[in-house]
Amino acid sequence: MKNLQVDALVVGGGIAGMQSALDLADQGFHVALVEKEASIGGKMISLSKVFPTLDCCSCITTPKMSAVAHHENITLLTYCEVVALEQNGASYRAQINKKPRYVNEESCTGCRLCEYACPLDLPSAFDMGLGAQRVIRVPFSTAVPQKAVLDIDNCILCGKCENVCPVADCIDFTQTAVTFEIHADAIVLATGFELTPTDAKAEYGGGKLRNVVDALTVERFLAPTGPYGHVLRPSDGKEPESIAYVQCAGSRDISLGVAYCSRICCMYAIKQAMLLSGALPLADITIYYMDIRTFGKGYEQFYQNARAMGIEFVRGKVARIHEDAAQNPVVRVEQIDDGSVVEREHDMVVLSVGMLPSYNPGLIYNVPVAADDGFVAQSAANISPCLTYQPGIFVAGTAAGPMDIVDSIVMAGAAAAETAAYLEERRAVGMAGNGRSPQTTSVKEVSYA
Amino acid sequence: MAVETVKCDFKILILATISGGYAGADSVGQLHTDYPANVYVLPVVCPAMFPEDFYLRTFERGIDAILVMYSGTDCPYKGGAERTAVIINHVYPLMETRGIDTRRLRLAAICTVCTKPFLNEVIQMNHVLQEIGPVRQKRNVPVPV
Amino acid sequence: MPDKEPLPAEEIRIGVYTCQCGGNISDVVGCARVVKAAGELGNVVVSRTNLSLCSDAGQALIEADIKEKGVNRVVIGACAPSLHEQTFRGTVARAGLNPYFYNHVGIREQASWVHHDNPDGATAKAIRLMAAGVAKARLLEPLEPIRLKAQKHALVIGGGVAGLRAALDIARRGIKVTLIEKSPFLGGHMAQLEQVFPTGDGARDLLKALIQRVVSHANITLYTQAELVGVQGVVGDFTVQICQQSRGISDDRVTAVNVVAPANLPDEFNYGLTTRSVLYQPYPGCYPATPAIDWAHYEDGCLELNGEPLHLQNKPKTFDLAVGAVVVATGFRPYEPPIGEYGYGVLPEVITLPAFIRLLALAGEDERLEFNGRAVKNIAFVHCVGSRQLDGLNEPQPDGQVNDYCSRVCCTATLQATNELHQRYPAINVFDVYEDIRTYGRGHELYYNLASENRVRFLRFHDDELPEVLAAPAGEEHPALVWVTDYLTWGQSLELPVDLVVLAVGMMPNPVDDIIKLLKINAGSDRFLAEVHPKLRPVETAVPGVLLAGTAQGPMNIQESCAAASAAAAKVAVLLGQGYVELEPFVAIVNPALCDGSGECIKECCYEDAISMQPVMVNGTEKVTAVVCAANCAGCGVCVGACPNRAIDLQGWTLKQYEAMVDALAAEDLFALELA
Repeated sequence: MKNLQVDALVVGGGIAGMQSALDLADQGFHVALVEKEASIGGKMISLSKVFPTLDCCSCITTPKMSAVAHHENITLLTYCEVVALEQNGASYRAQINKKPRYVNEESCTGCRLCEYACPLDLPSAFDMGLGAQRVIRVPFSTAVPQKAVLDIDNCILCGKCENVCPVADCIDFTQTAVTFEIHADAIVLATGFELTPTDAKAEYGGGKLRNVVDALTVERFLAPTGPYGHVLRPSDGKEPESIAYVQCAGSRDISLGVAYCSRICCMYAIKQAMLLSGALPLADITIYYMDIRTFGKGYEQFYQNARAMGIEFVRGKVARIHEDAAQNPVVRVEQIDDGSVVEREHDMVVLSVGMLPSYNPGLIYNVPVAADDGFVAQSAANISPCLTYQPGIFVAGTAAGPMDIVDSIVMAGAAAAETAAYLEERRAVGMAGNGRSPQTTSVKEVSYA
Repeated sequence: MAVETVKCDFKILILATISGGYAGADSVGQLHTDYPANVYVLPVVCPAMFPEDFYLRTFERGIDAILVMYSGTDCPYKGGAERTAVIINHVYPLMETRGIDTRRLRLAAICTVCTKPFLNEVIQMNHVLQEIGPVRQKRNVPVPV
Repeated sequence: MPDKEPLPAEEIRIGVYTCQCGGNISDVVGCARVVKAAGELGNVVVSRTNLSLCSDAGQALIEADIKEKGVNRVVIGACAPSLHEQTFRGTVARAGLNPYFYNHVGIREQASWVHHDNPDGATAKAIRLMAAGVAKARLLEPLEPIRLKAQKHALVIGGGVAGLRAALDIARRGIKVTLIEKSPFLGGHMAQLEQVFPTGDGARDLLKALIQRVVSHANITLYTQAELVGVQGVVGDFTVQICQQSRGISDDRVTAVNVVAPANLPDEFNYGLTTRSVLYQPYPGCYPATPAIDWAHYEDGCLELNGEPLHLQNKPKTFDLAVGAVVVATGFRPYEPPIGEYGYGVLPEVITLPAFIRLLALAGEDERLEFNGRAVKNIAFVHCVGSRQLDGLNEPQPDGQVNDYCSRVCCTATLQATNELHQRYPAINVFDVYEDIRTYGRGHELYYNLASENRVRFLRFHDDELPEVLAAPAGEEHPALVWVTDYLTWGQSLELPVDLVVLAVGMMPNPVDDIIKLLKINAGSDRFLAEVHPKLRPVETAVPGVLLAGTAQGPMNIQESCAAASAAAAKVAVLLGQGYVELEPFVAIVNPALCDGSGECIKECCYEDAISMQPVMVNGTEKVTAVVCAANCAGCGVCVGACPNRAIDLQGWTLKQYEAMVDALAAEDLFALELA
């Protein structure tokens, strides 16, 4: 791999990273987008439909993925990670480790013949372990790039994929990681978030009780590209007739060390409840909550629609969940309205898990995170929300705390504006030596009539 | 080619402005509100582009009703709304002389979020067509299976 | 074309693609039937369906058909054209085809999503719409976008925090900015705040630093007391008219001016808690520092200079600017409760949260908080006033609509106020009457936790049992009573005797009907300005070159307003950075052979210099016909309907194309028509 010289390095190929990269590239800046997974798309690409418009999520994400892949000013580097960063004068030199795909990325056509030929099925990571995936595969149907990747740890080296591959020397079991450098004048951190682990709160039985699932699993149930094409509860494949959502399962909970609100869970629970009512018209759906936080544009109206549709909203904090002999989860809840403690049985319980920081850029980027939540610290949170404490390094999307897709996209645009202005100002003072004259900074008076 | 026959229905053509009625129809879709499937919406920049004979020709071809959903006072083009109204007013007497019930043509201002007015117009026109029947005799329409 | 044998120029080979939209379409519409039916239509050489055509793989499929199967017209049935028409135009162009050899048919919003219980009807409708799409595709012409010079200059409307932020970020990209502010001072509503969440910074300190950067930037020109009064032109080259009021008195004379009239005008900066003079400054350190004349209350003789009466006149001046883009940052106004809502306007002890923030600021270092000459001992905050309203329960606005949205900022702002109150006046009892607490943002929950630690007494109501505020019976210690059915105490009806009731009022957009009309943009049903799509184009309006920033678009806090403003600035930089913009080629075009020079088109056209009569050569002879100037043509097509000879038409939307679509929709037997 040759070293790369770009204006900006965007780290993370989720919705925020893609939007930042596009907004910079559209302004004529050269951008390298580095994504650690084999495809860009981030968490968003695995969602079903998105609130409050109920657009098909894929319809919003895939065109952006495609635009990133085709943009003449963007170099897309998947399966790559930044492993070291050096400050080189006023710019950065990032060391990149490209993991082996065991497939030649240039020559693979994405025909998936290898995938069809592979004899081994593994639980699908993309489908939250619900479906199956092959050891060699295109990561998912709408992946960008459409290139196969081989999971060498689970491969039995039977060679069937190699036999069917129509391209000579495309599959390469001997491929090794390669390292190269990207030289960039600015960096945008769009490293995203992680979901609260399903088993984080032992009282809720997540990971132990079969019919207690997390919300991303339900996204896969509901997604058109999902594993079953139906909503089926895990223990016995029965269509659930009664589904409950437990809100704040991982947020606003000091016992988990998470004091903050995760911002998205109210809306995604309501959205899923609406979609489930469509998929299972006879099912009863209950949402147990402390406060409903439908604060965004069109969100409150969305909530009121859900109430009008007959979705039951119960004010109460769920204390614990156990299961009965039929593996039905039983929710113990203190109902705030009358103070009673009741136990209610459901066929399936969904934990509205929250957002956790996924990556600490302290070590490599020397960018501090906030002590109270672990997300990237913003040095001027009100006026310049994309600034970090490191000059030339900006932050976009959920790397800077929980936010929904709309807010991530807007913040990504803001990060592009900050980065572009930073690059322009550097050029203006001659750091890029391109002959542009520096801005004057004399204070002038406002002109009055 | 296999063909199945479904009951002949009235056909309503909607000429809807991209900035108004067409977006309004899309808003109805986003709300997932059902309405009769005999409604065909074509996007138009501004219906002032259609001369009088376009409407007459459309009825002659067998479209039972035309709803012109323009942007009214929100029309982004200067003079577009006024001109549309003038043309439609010219069409009515021409319809009368040809024996076409003038209720088959309606001009309505529909905005991008006018979902209720959109549905009202569609339902009203279907009621009118129930009453006055098709613009000409039809046979059953085959649709491919 | 990559084909080895070049296609005969006249052969039309149409590819028809029916998107399943991940089930959004295929759950209702029988996509396989659409594919089969479309495949039978004349000129169609490929008909396919795909789970998601807009995905990279889906687009690759279309590209491959163009390159390998010689497809030279593309018809796609998918979501609304407003969402992905541009996406697929790019796909077609990448494959080497003219991007206008593509027709988008909406079969999601207008078929599968509106005929759930009638899959057969939806399928039949989709087939007809696709047939109409194919009919149009046969008549498509290759078009080239119109390239216009773009002014590297943007207009930002509004000098609040969003407008300031947008102006600065545009200017930093080397683009000139004119920032206009209607009032005499910069800073907007943010200047009326004190400590702001989540950082605890002083609002005016933050503003001062931002304003300093804005006014010292060489690319920014600032006009206060200035309004937009006219707009012509299109993206890249708008001509805007600005009208600016007179400031009144120049800096060198202002210190010598003596105000004779009493300072008895309600001071809007303090929501009428104080009064001000006719020559005023909202707060020390404001920008510009020069006091302004309040012309609405100015009377001749109310000012003196060196003992002599001063005669001033407001002489507004209007001027034109050429700009390539406009950012609308016109902001919000606090909800004004109608007389009687929670006692507002009836009981003097009921005020709004913005006014309360001023009250706290004005109290300064006082040992006790006083209101109306009485020490405040008990205080109640009521949430969701003017927000989350329900039809039938709340009084609608003049337009008949209630405010059914959440205003996003009031919960944290209220808790911040209670915390400040506790810190300064720990003896005051604070009641917080709410429905849901929405401290959603980063750091906001800490304000809620602190309020709980501060022993704020929370009471929770249901939206169908709103609290009431009444006057206390004469002689009671506290003048007002708040009645709450409280569901934190299991539905008990509680009566809170208080000295002050603070209504956490929501946000409403500033009334900007004039700007909406001038720029031809839209407001949503919540009256805030509408974006094209919250995720695809969150800061763009339906009018190219007109962007949104801040609370004009919806309730936002300072951080969110700044993020939106910067995002809008990025779009302006994309648009104007290259020095030119490309417009859709959908303009009128004249067929000189048919034009008889009657001038009917010019008579109806409302755009200056869009059509003119000029001599042209037709078949070797000169004649005078209509000629269209593409840059001035709005592409409305009014001329088309006016022409008696069908000599003028609208490129991309021709009458013949509409007639062909009507024929396809009307045909009793689609396939008989095809054979005819």
